[in-house]
Amino acid sequence: MAALDSRAASAMVIQQVLQGRNLESAMQSVADRLQEKERALTAEISYGVCRWYFQLDALLKLLLDKPLKSSQRVIHTLMLVGLYQLLHTRIPAHAAVSETVAATRMLGKGWAKSLTNAVLRRFLREQQSLLQQSDSSDAAQLAMPQWLLQRLQQAWPGEWRRIAESYLQRPPMTLRVNCSKTSVEAAITELAAAGVTAHAFAQIDSALMLEKAAAVELLPGFSAGYLSVQDAGAQFAAMLLDAQPGDEVLDACAAPGGKTTHILELQPDANVTAMDVDAGRLQRVEENLQRLGQQARLTTGDVSLQQGEWRDRSYERILLDVPCSATGVIRRHPDIKLLRKAGDVDSLAERQQQILESVWPLLKPGGVLLYVTCSLLPEENQQQMEAFLARHEDAKEQAIALAVGRKQSVGWQILPGESHMDGFYYALIEKG
Amino acid sequence: MAKLEILHFPDARLRNSALPVEVVDESIQTLLDDMLETMYEAPGIGLAAIQVNVAKRIIVIDISEDHDQPLCLINPEIIERDGEESCEEGCLSVPGVFETVTRAEHIRVRALDRDGNAIEIEDDGLLAVCIQHEIDHLDGKLFVDYLSNLKRQRIRKKMEKKSRQAVVI
Repeated sequence: MAALDSRAASAMVIQQVLQGRNLESAMQSVADRLQEKERALTAEISYGVCRWYFQLDALLKLLLDKPLKSSQRVIHTLMLVGLYQLLHTRIPAHAAVSETVAATRMLGKGWAKSLTNAVLRRFLREQQSLLQQSDSSDAAQLAMPQWLLQRLQQAWPGEWRRIAESYLQRPPMTLRVNCSKTSVEAAITELAAAGVTAHAFAQIDSALMLEKAAAVELLPGFSAGYLSVQDAGAQFAAMLLDAQPGDEVLDACAAPGGKTTHILELQPDANVTAMDVDAGRLQRVEENLQRLGQQARLTTGDVSLQQGEWRDRSYERILLDVPCSATGVIRRHPDIKLLRKAGDVDSLAERQQQILESVWPLLKPGGVLLYVTCSLLPEENQQQMEAFLARHEDAKEQAIALAVGRKQSVGWQILPGESHMDGFYYALIEKG
Repeated sequence: MAKLEILHFPDARLRNSALPVEVVDESIQTLLDDMLETMYEAPGIGLAAIQVNVAKRIIVIDISEDHDQPLCLINPEIIERDGEESCEEGCLSVPGVFETVTRAEHIRVRALDRDGNAIEIEDDGLLAVCIQHEIDHLDGKLFVDYLSNLKRQRIRKKMEKKSRQAVVI
């Protein structure tokens, strides 16, 4: 059986992402092949290459006289793996080069040994001038796909650079404290006793941030449901929804259940219907409910289709955490920069509109719908909601004011990196 | 020690079934050493004698990072298997091809070691995957046999093209 090390595995993982697979599942595909240390390094390199892809790729184009044939694409990717180590890690240059060169043979491309070696060594010699050349373009310097950079520049003329820079940061590991079982202060003390340093947020009561990421199984109180992993920006959802005792609540795009369980933590007497289009992912909602000792009706279904048992009820509260471009969570999912294409935004906006129209008749008069995206693009956010309000006379905006972020024409936007949070958009709509 | 030549798919000799080793003698031990050297050099984590054109039921494995835990199995036999696990596999006889294969998660294996002593091994990780992959070789089976016909044909074409190029060079 052929050997596989972290460099060869990283090239394979990124190759899969370039073919459209998401990074998490591509990582899964090689995880079992690697020892623990190699697995951690593979994750570090694979996430890093995705994060910096558009910079590394611009540099590599300067280094290659002519592009490699498409059948040799994995060598191109392996060279990016090499460049990432040289530019963005503390791995000694000689080790980065020799290990990357050795990986050519594991990938069955022994012929590329001297080419890979030559390219990486030339980069080391000419690093300064190469970086100067590539950094003359904002897209390469900020490692952004051109289309997304342009969209952000249009939408956020004052903030786009800060947003793009936030995409290059490693996200903190943020937890939600189950305030029905314990308090943030008590959780911080418990974690400290286990050697995990955590800090509270000034902007939201339930969240705390770990100084260093840790495996969830090692966190005291995780399996007992005292803690959940959830970005602080996402923790506003259940708070804003503000379910009351006895309310029928529809969480229409529930998986993996972070917001579903938060709703029930805040309001154990709500009747929650958690729905998702993906049965496999709905399984994770069930696991989370079990861990927290909560109950909800689980149903698999497409919320944009007007059929299903979930339509037999009407609801006081509807949470629509719609599929979106995910441009607010790129620091957590850097593969989005590679996977998302310009055309996706329009089709996503269309789907969001279908979903809104599909559920609106199910909201009771006086009820509230919370529309959530992790997008930064107006087409998916305020423009979507402006159009919705214009179409529905019985829809009225309820103002939102949070301790972080900014008011939009409709709704509220948090930008990624603000108060250590991911980027989210919220709009609260009441039915007259 | 000597480095041996590894046969490449679709070489028909990879389809031979290997015969049990009757006596573990010095010639077998030399073969084991040569196979280990060949495997490390490839680089690989497992090699079956069939792959170096010796039709004997012998495999060598080393999944350690530092190449310091060689495992030699003679006449290996899986006596227990359960569970299911998918893993990305690659083979020294199909260089550069990695595909997901589903195998038993946990196995127990009986074999002779390099001194001819009977041993038993149990594993549910990479070692289990590797042992199953290598024992398949002894029965003329390759990991590409687990893939769809279409995929296997594509790999065969790729490999044939590669070997034609090698001749030209």
